[in-house]
Amino acid sequence: MALLELDGVSKAFGSLKAVDGVSFKVEAGEIFGIAGPNGSGKSTLFNTITGIPFGPDRGVVRFDGAEIQGLPGHRIARLGLARTFQRETAFDGLTVFENALMGATFAGSDGGTAAEAAAEALEFVGFDRADLGRSAGELSVFQRKCLMLATAIATRPKMLLLDEPASSLTKPEIDSSIDLIRRIAARGITILLIEHVLTLLMSLSQHLLVLNEGSVLALGDPRSVVADARVVEAYLGSRKAA
Amino acid sequence: MTAARLEDEEAISPASLAGVPRAPGRVSWRREAAAMAVGFALLALAPFVFADSYSRHVLIMVFIYAIVASNWDLSLGYGGVFNFGHIALFGIGVYAYSLLTKLAAMDPWIAMAASGVIAVVAAVVVTIPILRLKGIYIVLVTFGFAQLVMQVILSQSDYTGGTQGLVRIPGLYVFDHNMVRDAKFAYFYIAFGLLVLSTIFLRLFVRSRTGISVVALRDNEEYAVSRGISLVRQRLITLAASAFFTGVAGAFYAAYQRNASVEVFGMSLATIVLSMVLLGGTGTIYGAIVASFVLTIFSEAMADFGAWRPIITALLILAVMLAYPGGIVGMLRSGWTGFAGLSKRAK
Repeated sequence: MALLELDGVSKAFGSLKAVDGVSFKVEAGEIFGIAGPNGSGKSTLFNTITGIPFGPDRGVVRFDGAEIQGLPGHRIARLGLARTFQRETAFDGLTVFENALMGATFAGSDGGTAAEAAAEALEFVGFDRADLGRSAGELSVFQRKCLMLATAIATRPKMLLLDEPASSLTKPEIDSSIDLIRRIAARGITILLIEHVLTLLMSLSQHLLVLNEGSVLALGDPRSVVADARVVEAYLGSRKAA
Repeated sequence: MTAARLEDEEAISPASLAGVPRAPGRVSWRREAAAMAVGFALLALAPFVFADSYSRHVLIMVFIYAIVASNWDLSLGYGGVFNFGHIALFGIGVYAYSLLTKLAAMDPWIAMAASGVIAVVAAVVVTIPILRLKGIYIVLVTFGFAQLVMQVILSQSDYTGGTQGLVRIPGLYVFDHNMVRDAKFAYFYIAFGLLVLSTIFLRLFVRSRTGISVVALRDNEEYAVSRGISLVRQRLITLAASAFFTGVAGAFYAAYQRNASVEVFGMSLATIVLSMVLLGGTGTIYGAIVASFVLTIFSEAMADFGAWRPIITALLILAVMLAYPGGIVGMLRSGWTGFAGLSKRAK
């Protein structure tokens, strides 16, 4: 059974159909990539799945066997579906440790205490013991991205939705992000990954879905998807126009 | 040794995490408790230094302001909720106590506790319409709530005395002690006790995980929700928690002054208390308390300046806030950091 299944999910803002009848399945344990040009509805799709800040207008989102569309965001997080945001965000008024403690306390699912889960997640993404007491407000962009991953891991999720983890990072930082995402997947966490950097998606994902103007343009194994003429056109424009 | 397991420097249990304190980067609760005990112990000696009823009256007013301001800091500073109905919760305490003791002839102490509970209920009622609102709209709704409460009190003049207010409100009692001829000795310690209880409650709250989650929601609502924090639940808890001692302080104020008027809903009181919250430094609890002392005593000391008094006070607040946006606590912190840096270099 698929861990996450979308069936005809739609979300409109007025007359703009941001997400239009999207259906796909993500199997447990895989890294599933979602690509698409800017404005193709990738982030809106994440929002509708996680209910943050809103669920879909129509369609069904099934996670781990239960329908979750219409549930409030914090309840979805507690079911084991964690997400990150495109902009690196942190609770600036809290320490690094407290940031992770929040995820572990309010959405932590299995075993151990919240403090243990938080400290373990921070260590896993590469924070030193000495960093735990630092104010999250003084971290660099890359550290904030790592912290956002740690707070998600601290919830002990079944599935992690990553919204452009490589945006505004340098090349070496992107490389270590790829490594980190692989290690997260190796923990048995299923990953749904949005990127418009295709190379990153190609190197990580087992399945690739391309969105364009809110609809599924192509879906399949990454190599055949990027060879698809319609995908090339959506990214680069058609030869005739050029 | 179960007590030892609660100790602050105690490591989080797994071997890989040995040596990690329970709240890295924060002052340990033992150290904070010790500092708080010393501070309050010194304050408890004040009536022996100040034997006159005027000085004691000023300190009693400081304690009332400090309770109201520090509880406002919980919703405004920690929660980031622009609750401009906070002073109305104080006013509700004033009137709840007055009506319960005068009309229902309730025991003053029970009435005081009941006033706190009524303020909590009022806070929950005002929180429901602001759950989905942000920023300026919260100001509008909560300010409207304060005005509404005042209008209701004015309109029910048969019970509340309307614009005349209420007089001869029953005071508090302590066994057979004469509350009038003790130069405010008993009222000082009652107000002091309320401040101690309120401060301990607030600090325990903000150090708890619920308290930390309130800051998380303030910093980024969507991110907090994505980590399992319920906006509705935490916001209700925050506003309710900030209401109890505010209502009790209102009740105490009514019992102490023996009269009540709708002036407690006015902008003038709201402005004074808000300046205490801001001058002290938001999100600290202690800042609001310290600023209550500074502003009240400063204002009393300048009584001879007449109309210049509020102007000078306002200029002082502006000067401090421009130099130290973190308020008095920010000022003390940077002073401490500077001092620590100097003494390190000296070694």
